[in-house]
Amino acid sequence: MNIHINGQAYPINHEAKVTVSAALALYFIEPQQSTFAVAVNGDFVSREDYDHTSVKNGDSIDVLLPIQGG
Amino acid sequence: MSLTIYGQQLDSRLLIGSALYPSPEIMKKTIIASGSQVVTLSLKRQNPTEQSGQKIWQYLQEVVSQVDGHLLPNTAGCKTAKEAVTLAKMSQEIFKTDWIKLEVIGDDYNLQPDPIELLYAAEELLNDGFKVLPYCTDDLVLCQRLYDLGCQVIMPWASPIGTGKGLMNPYNLETIRLRLPQATLILDAGIGKPSDACLAMEMGYDGVLLNSAVALADNPVIMAKAFSQALQAGEQGYIAGIMEQRQTAHSSTPTLDTPFWHQN
Repeated sequence: MNIHINGQAYPINHEAKVTVSAALALYFIEPQQSTFAVAVNGDFVSREDYDHTSVKNGDSIDVLLPIQGG
Repeated sequence: MSLTIYGQQLDSRLLIGSALYPSPEIMKKTIIASGSQVVTLSLKRQNPTEQSGQKIWQYLQEVVSQVDGHLLPNTAGCKTAKEAVTLAKMSQEIFKTDWIKLEVIGDDYNLQPDPIELLYAAEELLNDGFKVLPYCTDDLVLCQRLYDLGCQVIMPWASPIGTGKGLMNPYNLETIRLRLPQATLILDAGIGKPSDACLAMEMGYDGVLLNSAVALADNPVIMAKAFSQALQAGEQGYIAGIMEQRQTAHSSTPTLDTPFWHQN
């Protein structure tokens, strides 16, 4: 099973689904220390829903942070 | 000299971007020098363990706090209404603001906004309670539709983003001002020099949003001050009432008792 986080594949073994929180833990540590927002398959997932939202094989997570902009 | 955006009164009519500066320090000095109280920023894919994103965010917060300003997140890079709506919601969570500079790009060559996707996105975001500031082309009917949807602020382009070409279609922009007297009109994108901003204000525009024109100047801080003064000059000119152009010459000096006058 693979999920994609910011375009990079991450294998997850022996599980049909994982929560967004669990998936983010694959990507970086201490997410509570950072300012970021998440979308799964192009849909916004609010921070309070990370523990209640599942991702499955083939799903794509975007993790976005602030940058300068015009 | 004040600008009202969705009921929020601001001391400056200049909205300024936070990108492309030679350094974060120059960005900070430039924003302060501009007098602007609205700073645009964005979101992009980054790994939070790479601290560059967090540092930029902390720096922008400091700058905006120092000028008693407001963050205006954009939806740069979005090509569909769905993408823009998702990015707006992500921005709202991070930046704690319901303001959104709505950008939906329809063409990669000139980064021209997609008017149809823009309308879809604006409608959905307004229904979700966002205060939408749509970046759009200088199309009167599109601006009218955005206003009718509930966008109190409309931001037509002067010319394509980052070109510095100034006001490509003054007639279009003047017509939008004439036909939408109640809308807050902010000229966005393509501004190259202070006189461009002055011209927009002389037309009766309510403000100007720019980034490249100051960030890419040889001296961004001085250029920011120049833009601030240009906006004030243009606004004062509009308020004062500009004389109508005339087809023929009229002597400014009284002709009565002209020296050496003689009848031919």
